[in-house]
Amino acid sequence: MMGISEYFESARIAYQAIIANKTRAFLTSLGIVIGIFFVIMMGWFLDGLDNAFDKTINAIGTDMLYVDKWSWGGSDDWRSVQKRKPISYQQALEASKKMTTAELVAPHASKWGGKITYQGNTLGSVSIVGVTAPFVNTPIGNLKEGRFFSETEDVHSVEVVILGYKVANAFFPDRSPLGEIMRINGRKFLVIGVVNKRGTIITDFIDNQVFIPIQTFMGMFGTARRGVQIAVKAGSQELLDEVREETRVIARQVRNLQPGEEDDFTINESQMFRDEISTLRLYVWGIGIGLTGLSFFVGIIGIMNIMFVSVTERTKEIGIRKALGAKNRSIMWQFLVESSTLCLFGAFIGFLLCATVIFAITSAFPDVDFLTPYVPLHLLFIASIVSIIVGIFAGLIPAYRASRLDPVEALRYE
Amino acid sequence: MNNDIIINIEDVAKTYQMGAETVHALRSVSLQIRKNEYIAIMGPSGSGKSTMMNIVGCLDTPTKGTYLFENENVATMNDNELADIRNRKIGFVFQTFNLLARASTLKNVELPLVYAGVKKDERQQRAFAALESVGLQDRTHHKPNELSGGQRQRVAIARALVTKPSIILADEPTGNLDSKTGVEIMRLFGELWKNGNTVILVTHEEDIARHAHRIVRIRDGMIESDTINPSPAEV
Ligand SMILES: Nc1ncnc2c1ncn2[C@@H]1O[C@H](COP(=O)(O)OP(=O)(O)OP(=O)(O)O)[C@@H](O)[C@H]1O
Ligand SMILES: [Mg+2]
Repeated sequence: MMGISEYFESARIAYQAIIANKTRAFLTSLGIVIGIFFVIMMGWFLDGLDNAFDKTINAIGTDMLYVDKWSWGGSDDWRSVQKRKPISYQQALEASKKMTTAELVAPHASKWGGKITYQGNTLGSVSIVGVTAPFVNTPIGNLKEGRFFSETEDVHSVEVVILGYKVANAFFPDRSPLGEIMRINGRKFLVIGVVNKRGTIITDFIDNQVFIPIQTFMGMFGTARRGVQIAVKAGSQELLDEVREETRVIARQVRNLQPGEEDDFTINESQMFRDEISTLRLYVWGIGIGLTGLSFFVGIIGIMNIMFVSVTERTKEIGIRKALGAKNRSIMWQFLVESSTLCLFGAFIGFLLCATVIFAITSAFPDVDFLTPYVPLHLLFIASIVSIIVGIFAGLIPAYRASRLDPVEALRYE
Repeated sequence: MNNDIIINIEDVAKTYQMGAETVHALRSVSLQIRKNEYIAIMGPSGSGKSTMMNIVGCLDTPTKGTYLFENENVATMNDNELADIRNRKIGFVFQTFNLLARASTLKNVELPLVYAGVKKDERQQRAFAALESVGLQDRTHHKPNELSGGQRQRVAIARALVTKPSIILADEPTGNLDSKTGVEIMRLFGELWKNGNTVILVTHEEDIARHAHRIVRIRDGMIESDTINPSPAEV
């Protein structure tokens, strides 16, 4: 058994060795500093990514299905997808009428690259989305202020618009846009509402949208070639399977598909993003682990080297300790404590570095709200454990060598 | 057999292999040492005195022969068992003091007790008492380089004493000291002996050896003579 007094003796020796040689301690633990830096930054970023992912999923809606010619995921064959006929507005209407299990069915159509003008200022590449009145009840139509248009307004192709968060923010950073007149592709529209921010840094294009009545939309852009999508709200995640099944059956009906023919549409859902995100996660992980592994490798070599130096420098001391009754394992322990203390010291500097960098990043980009402005506690814990293990690993061979020194030889060493 | 015999060496040899050459540091040595003896081991340089001290002190094991320490066979012990004997039974004093430079006097004296697993409070008390017995109670927080040579050797003696060992082994303890300081150190050894300790010291100075009660002379790895000193010098 390792006595507690021996442990404190070892810790004291390690502390003295580091204090006596601050610069050397810092330089040799540099690899560890950088390794710990990568571990924490990677963990921090992945945490942020998960955070962003959750926000995105909630923005899309976990109980939502989106029937579309196009697929969000990469699973469908791109060529056959391209050959599909667009879903027509008539088909979408027919499907809406037939659906019985869904809480809500809302056809909508989009045009990319729309142009919005207000008092001579123009914002390009805005998505213009034509929607029906019930769209207000989807997660996308969640209002921040103002109102959505009514069914009557839709039927009469009224020129009213609900702005996405980014569009509203671009033109009216410090006041409400309600009641303003803006031009969409040259035509005048009255702003009646603003929807909530949904995007995060990787998905913030979804806030670069405006919503107008679908009849108005068709009047302006038509839908024949463009096609429409159908948003289907199941009402809860438990109902999703049932609703997906009915959606598929009805979509096949309105598309006139024969039994045995393949679906010529895709039922998209938030789940598909999960796959995309997990790929991204894997990349971050791979790069992070690679960099971390590399720095720890360099770190281990550095620490091992300095431990060999330390053992040689203190050969005489080892001899003295052995003469006084130190067992081999006490000597081994002493050097392992020293190398892991050295690594822990490196980890501590790594923490400070991370805290500084994280603070700097989050201060410079306050919009990036999915990243925490501090080092998460569990990462500090993991990093500490990792550095101690790395230290033990790096110290193993030098410590073993020290423990095996012949006491007489060691005492004769000058 | 006399139970008073704590060291019983029978036909011990130690050889070192230097490439093709075999160095006979000790050829054949037999020696019995009783409790509370005061022995000086003498001999010319290279005769094997230190080698013998290392074996007696369980720092090294013989190549040949038997060594019974308090009736236990040391020759077959492993590293841990040897470390244990050194810790509990043997106190070393070296020519070059061999104190830890970075540690205070008190910490140096505490060290054997650390390896004995003695708790901090008791350790400090005992270390302080040992320092007191060599007259250094007011130097407990000094570092070795803040002490004179004689003081350093007294710290080393305190360290050797602190575990209350069976024997004190001193290899040229006055070799690095002037003669006046050497005499002070010899007075300490005399006191240790009077208090019932067994003292073995290596020296090549007749002046030092005459304090001992028995003088063993070594030459070329063999015992040349083993005599009783009829009139040991008092300090
Ligand atoms: N580790 C070793 N390897 C090889 N030879 C050694 C080793 N240790 C001692 N010797 C040899 O053994 C012989 C005895 O050495 P030892 O140190 O015991 O002499 P000593 O009597 O203590 O001499 P001194 O008075 O100079 O200290 C010497 O010839 C020495 O060269
Ligand atoms: Mg010698």
